[in-house]
Amino acid sequence: MSAFSPFPLKAKMEVFFFSVFNGLLYGMLLFMLASGLTLIFSLMGVLNFAHASFFMLGAYFAYQISKYVGFWPALIFAPLIVGLIGALIERYGLRPVHKFGHVAELLFTFGLAFVMEEVIQMIWGKVPVPYNIPEALSFAAFTWRGLDYSAYRLFMLLISVGIFVALFLFIAKTRIGLMIQAALSHPQMVQSLGHDVPTIFMWTFGFGCALAGIAGVIGGNVLGTEPSMAITLGPIVFVVIVIGGLGSLWGALLAALFIGIVDNLAISFDLKLYPIFALFGVEREAEGIMSDLVNLTTGGIAPVLPYLMLVLMLIFRPRGLFGTRDV
Amino acid sequence: MADLMRKSGIWIAAILVILALPLLVKSGFHITMLNQMGVLIIFALAYNMLLGQGGMLSFGHAVYFGLAGYSVAHYLNGVGEATLPYLPVSLIPLMGGAVGLFFGVLIGFVSTRRAGTTFAMISLGFAEMATALTLIIVTFFNGEEGIQTDRWVGPEPLGITFGSDVQVYYLIGTWCLLATGAMYALTRTPFGRMCNAVRDNPERVQFLGYNTHRVRWLAFSLSSFFAGIAGALHALNIEHVGFETVGIAQSGLVLFMVWIGGASTFAGPVLGAILITYLNSNLSDLTEAWYLYLGLLFMVIVMFAQGGLAGLIVMHEPIWKVDLKLFRAMVVPYIMGIGSTLIACVGVIGLIELAYFMSTRATAETQKVLYGFDVDAASVVPWAVCLLIAALGIEACRRTYPPMSASYNTAIAAVKARMAM
Amino acid sequence: MKHLSRLVIACTVVMLAVVTMTAAKAAETIKIGLIEPLSGRIAAVGQDALHSFEYAAEQINKAGGVLGGRQIEIVGLDNAMNAEKTTEQLKKSVDLGLSFVLQGVGSNHALNIIKFVNKHNKRNPGKEIVFLNHSAVTTAFTNELCSFWHFRFDANVDQKVAALVTQMKRDPSIKKVYLLNQNYAYGKSFQAAANKLLEERAPNIEIVGDELIVPFGKVQDFTPYVAKIKASGADTILTGNWGPDMHRFVKGAMGSGMDTKFYTIYGGITSSIAGYGDDAKKVDLKQVTEMHENHAGMPDDVHGFMDGFLKKYTDSWYSDRYRWALHMLAAAMEKAGSADPIPVAKALEGMTFEGPIGTVEMRADDHQIQLPLIVSTLTGDAAKKVIYKGKNFQVAFKTDGVVERADTSLPTTCKMKRP
Repeated sequence: MSAFSPFPLKAKMEVFFFSVFNGLLYGMLLFMLASGLTLIFSLMGVLNFAHASFFMLGAYFAYQISKYVGFWPALIFAPLIVGLIGALIERYGLRPVHKFGHVAELLFTFGLAFVMEEVIQMIWGKVPVPYNIPEALSFAAFTWRGLDYSAYRLFMLLISVGIFVALFLFIAKTRIGLMIQAALSHPQMVQSLGHDVPTIFMWTFGFGCALAGIAGVIGGNVLGTEPSMAITLGPIVFVVIVIGGLGSLWGALLAALFIGIVDNLAISFDLKLYPIFALFGVEREAEGIMSDLVNLTTGGIAPVLPYLMLVLMLIFRPRGLFGTRDV
Repeated sequence: MADLMRKSGIWIAAILVILALPLLVKSGFHITMLNQMGVLIIFALAYNMLLGQGGMLSFGHAVYFGLAGYSVAHYLNGVGEATLPYLPVSLIPLMGGAVGLFFGVLIGFVSTRRAGTTFAMISLGFAEMATALTLIIVTFFNGEEGIQTDRWVGPEPLGITFGSDVQVYYLIGTWCLLATGAMYALTRTPFGRMCNAVRDNPERVQFLGYNTHRVRWLAFSLSSFFAGIAGALHALNIEHVGFETVGIAQSGLVLFMVWIGGASTFAGPVLGAILITYLNSNLSDLTEAWYLYLGLLFMVIVMFAQGGLAGLIVMHEPIWKVDLKLFRAMVVPYIMGIGSTLIACVGVIGLIELAYFMSTRATAETQKVLYGFDVDAASVVPWAVCLLIAALGIEACRRTYPPMSASYNTAIAAVKARMAM
Repeated sequence: MKHLSRLVIACTVVMLAVVTMTAAKAAETIKIGLIEPLSGRIAAVGQDALHSFEYAAEQINKAGGVLGGRQIEIVGLDNAMNAEKTTEQLKKSVDLGLSFVLQGVGSNHALNIIKFVNKHNKRNPGKEIVFLNHSAVTTAFTNELCSFWHFRFDANVDQKVAALVTQMKRDPSIKKVYLLNQNYAYGKSFQAAANKLLEERAPNIEIVGDELIVPFGKVQDFTPYVAKIKASGADTILTGNWGPDMHRFVKGAMGSGMDTKFYTIYGGITSSIAGYGDDAKKVDLKQVTEMHENHAGMPDDVHGFMDGFLKKYTDSWYSDRYRWALHMLAAAMEKAGSADPIPVAKALEGMTFEGPIGTVEMRADDHQIQLPLIVSTLTGDAAKKVIYKGKNFQVAFKTDGVVERADTSLPTTCKMKRP
């Protein structure tokens, strides 16, 4: 319901760039989460409902560690601890459930997400914890046309790009990486070839969780660290991997960036959706339910867009945009 | 005649219990709780048509429950303002069912093309969309406030106004019986068997020439129909429908009920609905950690008891059907096993309660009452004691569970031997 | 299957038989129910309310109680922020024989209670329940939806916005304001009130933006909104946001170097201050409240109360209206000479109380409290700092200005039906 139309063209440019920059950032964060989830799903066939909970755990651990020794040790140790916890959960929790089928595995991770949120509330309370940006990075790297581009956000971008590059090299160039590539598209074959699948599963799960943990460490102090983090971000990560396509890391990257940028732009350029309805001959002063729909703007529906895309994609092309195999 | 009596025995018993309960239970709070149980029994059974019988895990079943509730609330308000024609309140659940069916057919068509994880994710997507729509389409959903309604509308045949909770109780009880009967009958039909076949081996079913999509779609639609009935009764019971009725939390709750109760038997969801509603109403006043316990219970069932609590009971059915005396050998190992479990629980619950207390207490006070003892949560002592009890309990479980399952296996082997004779 | 079902039914009967609860006899103590989220995500807010009321009741009891020595007891009833549980707890209140119920966290629950109480009191004469609303600020509750059984002890949205706008007018540096609110009933009513009152009271201030966001924490990143606000040239933001929608907004603003003033209702509640982290010291944020600790000239007994509360709960006393609500209820009981709901409700109409900065009055027409309000700024430079759960946040509030009752009282459309 923006009563005011946007601003002069000059201002539009800087809003556009600012939004794209932040969209990229948000997208990279989503990618870090999605990459871990894709690896786990593609390799093990398990949709880890609790993936965003490991993200949350990473943020909380980073908060706790940085309280005592500072942000930089937290950046290294928090993901490691989260990864370790993930591996242990796979070994002692998920593995026994594996034999009961996919539904049981899904239920396990669903229950796990629920329990993790409760446990975090039990330990750290229900109010947001003051996990802050490190002093060293809390300044404006540069100001362009009146908008500050924070140094910390640039750092976030650097780290996430670095991780993507490292991940890409790891999968493309190492032996284990080759195995993972194979398993991404042909999991049963890899198993029949005699690789120690249970151990691979355990470390993959741990690694995926560690990736989620890093996202938590660098994102928690920007988005706010509180118990509802997981449930807000979780479903969007599913959207990313479905749209990108299962088994495809490139797909996950592109989908994540797409969603991040579209989300930001939809809000910044709060376009009215009325013209679409006008095409169908709907009156401007429509009554009842139509009056709600007619007054919609992109900013108003921005949080719903990902789910709409999810449903449409699953209906028409379950493989996703770049998927190498079906769900 | 005697045969008919035996077969319809449970139904007659159920009718008698439902008639008698309000005479035993007087408080309004408990009548409302019973009403909720009735509503959720129907919802849980409907959900199990999908999960237990059809193998489809849905995170969005509350959408039909909620949409039916909203429709009924609007209808009642319309009758109250004399803008809509009057339908006897007793028939309103059918209206809810129709709404559920309508949306179930539409959404089911696209959702049921695939099963498994894809189905689950589509249901998640629809659940999130429905929740978002409740805040966008204000005219129908009224956003955060939801829709208030009054069930005391229209003419009052025989003085039945449905104003009092007890009258609503009988309405819900009747519909609960009817719906349960209908759903039970469905499991006995060839269609019910087809659902099971599609759940177990969809490829084979396709080879046999059946259209798996059609079967799932039909199951989904019928399940939404009954979910709609439950939603309508919910609106009548609470007289308020809010945005959380369509959301993932509501779907998650019924999922917990069904799985903990047991998805592999017909009566499992009933057990789950009764148990969880009861705990939800009473336990949350006793402890803050109630949700954590619920989640842990769910995890335990997922990991160790695929058939849920009902499954655990039904597991023993062959034994008591064949020879009750076989139980004698099982009594001691079972008591040991259950006892160890209780000890472990006491320890773990103690630790959780202490942790919750320390992280959420308001005053600087560290004194707390745990199991009737005054303890100081800041000192190491109560923690150490609980940890010790928990450790002992877990160790005891490790020792007593093997004999417990061995005794069970022996009994089952004896049963099999007898059956073979 | 038959056996299982019999077992199920047997278990049910046993459970329910065991559970028969006898209604507590409200002998000497006067029990007042408090229906709030005491578990779940919003539990902190509910718990705070519970402790505040318990403490206020304690002080009244220490001073001799009501009606010749009867003690007031607050009964906490958890609704876990769930509409069904609110209804359940209302039924429980009926069972427990409670005649007074307090609530305020969540306007949708308050509406639920108003409707329930209207229906219940009509269907059950002799067992009426009175609803004492301590924080649900939807203006309609004392206008179109007003009810004899509902009393509100907090200023409503329109009144709070009136106070903010009146104070804004006093600051000549404010020229362009950007409105940003949550897209649901409360946020829209804030938006409507802001537009109307800015036009009436501060027509020189230009509204350069007016926006509604998707509420309840769905917006993770506020930087796109920040970009728009900067581009509009606004020097002030007027917002009713609360919870994550508030602290993420502030963090987004501070992270992008935006130095506008924030005029808010809920920007100063402790969970928001916790959410700002270090940015609490940087942001220029104002709130409107009925009192804050560092306001000069408050009577000694108020300070005594606040110090006692801080000592016991390691929390700063924030919502003084909780104290007034119980005192006014007690006074109404004394005036009516009984604890029965209808006489007490009649006595409460028109009741006045000496608040910390002036007299407050429960207006009889609409059961809406009339009171002076303070607009204050968050600052690192105040004597008493905000302490929550033992943690000192190093910030507190400093008064910008007091808006007297003449400016905060607004007309009502309420046409109340009285028994």
